[in-house]
Amino acid sequence: MDQIASTQLLLSALILASIYALVALGLNLIYGTMRLLNVAHGDLMMLGGYFSYWVFQLVGIGPLWSMFGAVLLTAILGAACYLSIVRYVIGNRELAARLEANSLLIFFGFAIIIQNGLSMAFTSDPRSYGYLNSILAVGDARVELNRLAVLGLGTVASAGCVLFFQFSRFGLATRALIQQRDAASLVGINADRIQLLVFCVGFGMAGLAGSLVSMTETVTPFGGFPYTISAFVVIILGGLGNLGGGILGAVLLAIIEIYGVALTSAAYRSILLYGVFITVLLIRPQGLLGRSAR
Amino acid sequence: MSFRNFALKAVLAAAALSVALPSYAADPVKIGVGIAKTGPFAPAAIPTLNAYQMWADDLNAKGGMDVAGTKRPIQLVVYDDQSDFTKEAAIYEKLITDDKVDLLLSPYATPFHFAIVGVLERYKFPMVGSTAASVQLRTIKPGNIWFPTSAIPDKMGPELVSLMKKQGVKTVSISTLQSPFAQEMEKYVKAALTDSGIKLLSSQQYAMDVKDMTSIVSAIKKEQPDAVLSLSFPADSILFMKAAREQGLTAPFQFVLVGPTADFFGKIFGKNLDGVMTMGHWSPYQTKWPKGMPFFEAYSKKFNQAPDYLDVALAYMSCEITEAAVAKVGLDKEKLRKEISSTTFDTIDGPVKFTGVENSTTPTMFLQIQDGKPQIVWPPKEETAPFQKKGPWVN
Repeated sequence: MDQIASTQLLLSALILASIYALVALGLNLIYGTMRLLNVAHGDLMMLGGYFSYWVFQLVGIGPLWSMFGAVLLTAILGAACYLSIVRYVIGNRELAARLEANSLLIFFGFAIIIQNGLSMAFTSDPRSYGYLNSILAVGDARVELNRLAVLGLGTVASAGCVLFFQFSRFGLATRALIQQRDAASLVGINADRIQLLVFCVGFGMAGLAGSLVSMTETVTPFGGFPYTISAFVVIILGGLGNLGGGILGAVLLAIIEIYGVALTSAAYRSILLYGVFITVLLIRPQGLLGRSAR
Repeated sequence: MSFRNFALKAVLAAAALSVALPSYAADPVKIGVGIAKTGPFAPAAIPTLNAYQMWADDLNAKGGMDVAGTKRPIQLVVYDDQSDFTKEAAIYEKLITDDKVDLLLSPYATPFHFAIVGVLERYKFPMVGSTAASVQLRTIKPGNIWFPTSAIPDKMGPELVSLMKKQGVKTVSISTLQSPFAQEMEKYVKAALTDSGIKLLSSQQYAMDVKDMTSIVSAIKKEQPDAVLSLSFPADSILFMKAAREQGLTAPFQFVLVGPTADFFGKIFGKNLDGVMTMGHWSPYQTKWPKGMPFFEAYSKKFNQAPDYLDVALAYMSCEITEAAVAKVGLDKEKLRKEISSTTFDTIDGPVKFTGVENSTTPTMFLQIQDGKPQIVWPPKEETAPFQKKGPWVN
């Protein structure tokens, strides 16, 4: 039982939660605002990861700096994706009627392009590098500095994003769009501009997550899918479109993963995880903090 | 003869020559492969394909493949199985019937090998396998497929326990990935531990999509075993080793099933890989196998990274065996079948002879990373360096 109370487990749970939260935020934003299922989200992460890997190999600059480049790169990609494809689909009455299904196809194609583009550029070999990997003692726990960096930066970025959408004028307009799309447009909110920015932020968050995770894990062109799945579990748990709910979902997922395994057995990880997931959906189909559709 | 007539005859002669020449020039030997170029297996499969490509390039640079005395260029016909083994049978059937390849090289990983056994049998097409390892291999009818690996779990389990006993291990903790190969390994290790005098403190399995192994390592650390066996694959091997390093796991015998010999492991763990044990039966530092080091150097130079000591070595061995058999008997399938079944082949991993589908000459071995180099530390008659206890993790 003393293992449960250890700082080691607590830190691991927090680090995992910060990764899940960061990955899920971008996905949640795009789905919440436009009901688009971005199944390429994990692949955008890998793109951010490869960018940081490449910068580190090329000029020796670590992800604490290159993460800004990764965010910029993926945000530009987000803008290009929105302006070239999504805006057209949303603007077309027939296509817009099947928006969620269409978005699945669009982003599936997008994922394949990213995966194969990365594979052509870097080959399929796993890529990794050692950065900030000295061990630091935190109380009775020992943890790699890069994992602490992920925890710190992931928490700051997630909290900053949530606060921004909670308190800024732009955030207010975005939330209005999420809650009542037509009404928001009627009161003069520029939906097109907000959607463009949401795409940039959503994609950028994926790039940031990838850049940070590349410090602690290997990146491969096809390594994004498990993150996409985790991100979907997190945002469905928390409530689709609810950023705070997404963070709660991330914490819950990490607690199950770390403490659930410690209390029972590692063999039960998936059973615990999806058991809780299904239970939550049975009790609250709209997710922990989601609004019920009435 | 008028100039016009002369020109006409010259053009006709040239045309006739151009038609006739290819039948005299050596036609390429078409060699088919279906392998994961995309999808989750691609990162592990690509080095295997690299080995095939390097072999083909080298032979072409030397004038081609020796087909029973005639040199012919090699043409690889490669299809992406997209990491989906259900596609493999159709790919190999297409290679045989549509592309009409002369030879086949194997796909990546055990399920993909199993998927094409029926096709090889139907068309009586012999192929040397590579990266497949399972006790189930022995259930395959011999004749059209052979497996050069000696890393079969029912042999590795007892050998690993023998090695632990020799190193004075009294207690062991095991963590196992829920995948067929790792679970087979766990089964045979546990069976061999019975009556071995080594006490099994704990054995826990974990799911494939694990994201953090802190809890698992934390529980093992509390048991303070002499030996820790992480029966893991590369992705979770990284998680295990990171957690072991963070928590300062001090067991003097630390075994990680798959991963430590891959190039990217060295980039992540550096000096911390030293002392880690792993499966494998090839090392370029084995002076008894003179082909080993030139292969290691050539691969490292061509691809700017060291070859994986297991998969890449096996893939290259399958090429060497195919090459030697074709040099002797040509491309006739029946003659090839007999040749591969009966001859002892000289490879980068020493002599290889098949009994049934299995490599019956290469003993089960284990490697340990020492000064960044994977050395053979078991069995004693094959060792390239003596076993060393795992030292403290470097900060």
